[in-house]
Amino acid sequence: MVNLEELKKDAKRILQDKKVKYVIGYRRGVDGYEAIPAFFKAPEECDDLVWDPTCIHNLVRFLRDEKVRKDREKEPDKRPVAIIAKGCDTRAINVLLQEQYISREDVFILGISCEETGVIDGKKLRKKIQGKKIKQIDFNGKDGFSVITEEGKTEVAAKDVMAQRCIECISNYPIDHDIFFGEKKKREPENPFDSLDSLQSMPNEKRWAFWKEHLEKCIRCYACRSVCPMCYCDECVVDTISFAVFADTPAEEKANKIKWLEKSPVSSENFVYHLVRAMHLAGRCIDCGECERVCPVDIPLRHLNKFLEKKAKELFDYQAGFDPEAPALISSFKEEDPEDFIR
Amino acid sequence: MKKEFEPKIIAFLCKWCSSAGSDLAGVSRMEYPSNVVPITVMCSGSMSPLYIFSAFNKGADGVLVSGCHPGDCHYIKGNYYARRRIALVKELLQFIGLEPERFKMSWVSAAEGIKYKEVISEFVEEIKPLGPQTKLRREL
Repeated sequence: MVNLEELKKDAKRILQDKKVKYVIGYRRGVDGYEAIPAFFKAPEECDDLVWDPTCIHNLVRFLRDEKVRKDREKEPDKRPVAIIAKGCDTRAINVLLQEQYISREDVFILGISCEETGVIDGKKLRKKIQGKKIKQIDFNGKDGFSVITEEGKTEVAAKDVMAQRCIECISNYPIDHDIFFGEKKKREPENPFDSLDSLQSMPNEKRWAFWKEHLEKCIRCYACRSVCPMCYCDECVVDTISFAVFADTPAEEKANKIKWLEKSPVSSENFVYHLVRAMHLAGRCIDCGECERVCPVDIPLRHLNKFLEKKAKELFDYQAGFDPEAPALISSFKEEDPEDFIR
Repeated sequence: MKKEFEPKIIAFLCKWCSSAGSDLAGVSRMEYPSNVVPITVMCSGSMSPLYIFSAFNKGADGVLVSGCHPGDCHYIKGNYYARRRIALVKELLQFIGLEPERFKMSWVSAAEGIKYKEVISEFVEEIKPLGPQTKLRREL
């Protein structure tokens, strides 16, 4: 079991020793039971730290903000930033290290093991407990979680409320860490691509109908892009208005400048956006599931990324985020890569 | 008389091999369907997946990417990178439900005018029964 008191103590210690700038972690949200991301700058604030099955968020996203801020400062504070990271989150850090976006000295990893379960899916939980007011959720070993509601304590099975990505998790404890909490007990999923099977076995036209139905809903709020720890480009290809327009840019050029896709949220443009995003995450996505969680219209975005993850494994024997030294998927090749699809 | 559907195919040809291959087919007076709009790119490795999605988005019925044979790349290894990337694009397009026949990749060297002709003829024949591509076409 992860000892929360120890976590608090260590967080306090590194802040007191001025070893780190601040700690990115979780604290209790306003609804009383869910965790929200929080920044702890003073040792005494660390009493608010929490660790429970509602710590869903991938905090690696905030390392990007930290880097942007640091790059702008004239005399930046060179100390690292401490971050609480689950197994999947450390894989995200590894990808950023692999791409040399951040360096290992920039980050101090407080690795937390998810041990025998994982984090919950808020939607599944609310459905399961049927609107009762939740007070607290705790890990309960292999069996699942114990949920304390206003009516008392109930045990819920892991498979009923756990996030799908945790059911399919292949790294339930941190790969890289400076301080480690919990146990390193490997848990193998029955089928790491469980949710894809039904979709892949559909005939082509049915799969098209599935995606059409979902992607038509997209309102292009770009929440998936904003939350993704891997989407760190300064300029994004989907922001078609961001090409440079100067006083002397002729009207013709403005009119003819390539618009890869339109801003309007219509099906065809949404498809291009999501295809591009999926490709940009090929071999980089570590399946933290944040894009799907934040989607306001419930598009199953994980499937797209998960599919490319599966193909990368099948075709090129590549898994993202396990080795920061390894060459990246699409900036490397092997002589024996499959080419039976090429005439 | 009902007019037969003529697909529009966008072919991204690498400058050093496939483009020269298509040129050879032309100067050798080979006959092949005129459905292809060739676009020369510097290397098949310079193909961004976005070019392919964008071609479909702007109304292509089929997209072909063609480069040098492995080992023959003018830039030594560009086509190896392309092979990996395009494999993923092909899988992804199929996964979202586009007909797999609509996207093709080929290796055509500068000497293979005949192969270029064959690739195009086959591609056109495969796409004709599918009809126009409307799935990814811009709706605005």
